[in-house]
Amino acid sequence: MSPQEEEWQLLKKVQQADFVVVELTLYIDTHPNDMEAIQQWREAIKEAAKVRRQYESRFGPLSLLSVPSAQAIEVGWHWNSTPWPWQR
Amino acid sequence: MWVYEKKLLYPVEVTTCNPMLAKYLMEQYGGADGELAAALRYMNQRYTVPDKVIGVLTDISTEEFSHLEMLATMIYKLTKDATPEQLEKAGLGAHFVNHGHSLFYENAGGVPFTATYIQSKGDPIADLYEDIAAEEKARATYQWLIDISDDPGVSDALRFLRERENIHSLRFRESVEILKEERDRKKIF
Repeated sequence: MSPQEEEWQLLKKVQQADFVVVELTLYIDTHPNDMEAIQQWREAIKEAAKVRRQYESRFGPLSLLSVPSAQAIEVGWHWNSTPWPWQR
Repeated sequence: MWVYEKKLLYPVEVTTCNPMLAKYLMEQYGGADGELAAALRYMNQRYTVPDKVIGVLTDISTEEFSHLEMLATMIYKLTKDATPEQLEKAGLGAHFVNHGHSLFYENAGGVPFTATYIQSKGDPIADLYEDIAAEEKARATYQWLIDISDDPGVSDALRFLRERENIHSLRFRESVEILKEERDRKKIF
């Protein structure tokens, strides 16, 4: 796998993990007492954070919130670098 | 505040230059039932709705902005390499002389976006019913776009977006029930 392809595959994993969080958050908005969903949400957050760390430690920050993280510092300032999402 | 995420909500892969399809997609970019209208509608209504439904409006509005970015990505990729002749052939000649290769908030017929597409009534039930209708209209538009799309990558992204409108509609309908329950509880005590 080329580094470019590896980056794309890992980004897809981040998108997947983040989407689970988006979907569960929306569900809990209207089902605040569903304890099982809240437990799933907790697990999803942990998983999303893990995958994001994997990505950012190699390819740079995905959001400005990531900038203060150790991973972002290690890879340097990559924020204003291509590709932007619509350039892929 | 909002923080930008340097990734799409869902990957968009476009097969070939296709300005005709791009023109149709503009309906969901800057049209009456499109993503811009949805995002702005909910983001504005949320200030005056009961606390129990502020989260739903905030989160769905935020997601609609990510849908808007997906649409922009599709339109951009489908038109970036098109010659003026190709754009003209696709019915985008008027768009080209006004906007070049840039995007613009307009519908598939070239009508610019207007705030008159959306409403905020200050009445949570009225607002939420408008929101449910908006999601159903967006879902229907996505269906027509899928029916007309000849790009498998675009169709895949459109199917994802169509499904999201279903979920949003469901969450808004649950929000109506939450408010009705609250209203009925107040009557009893």
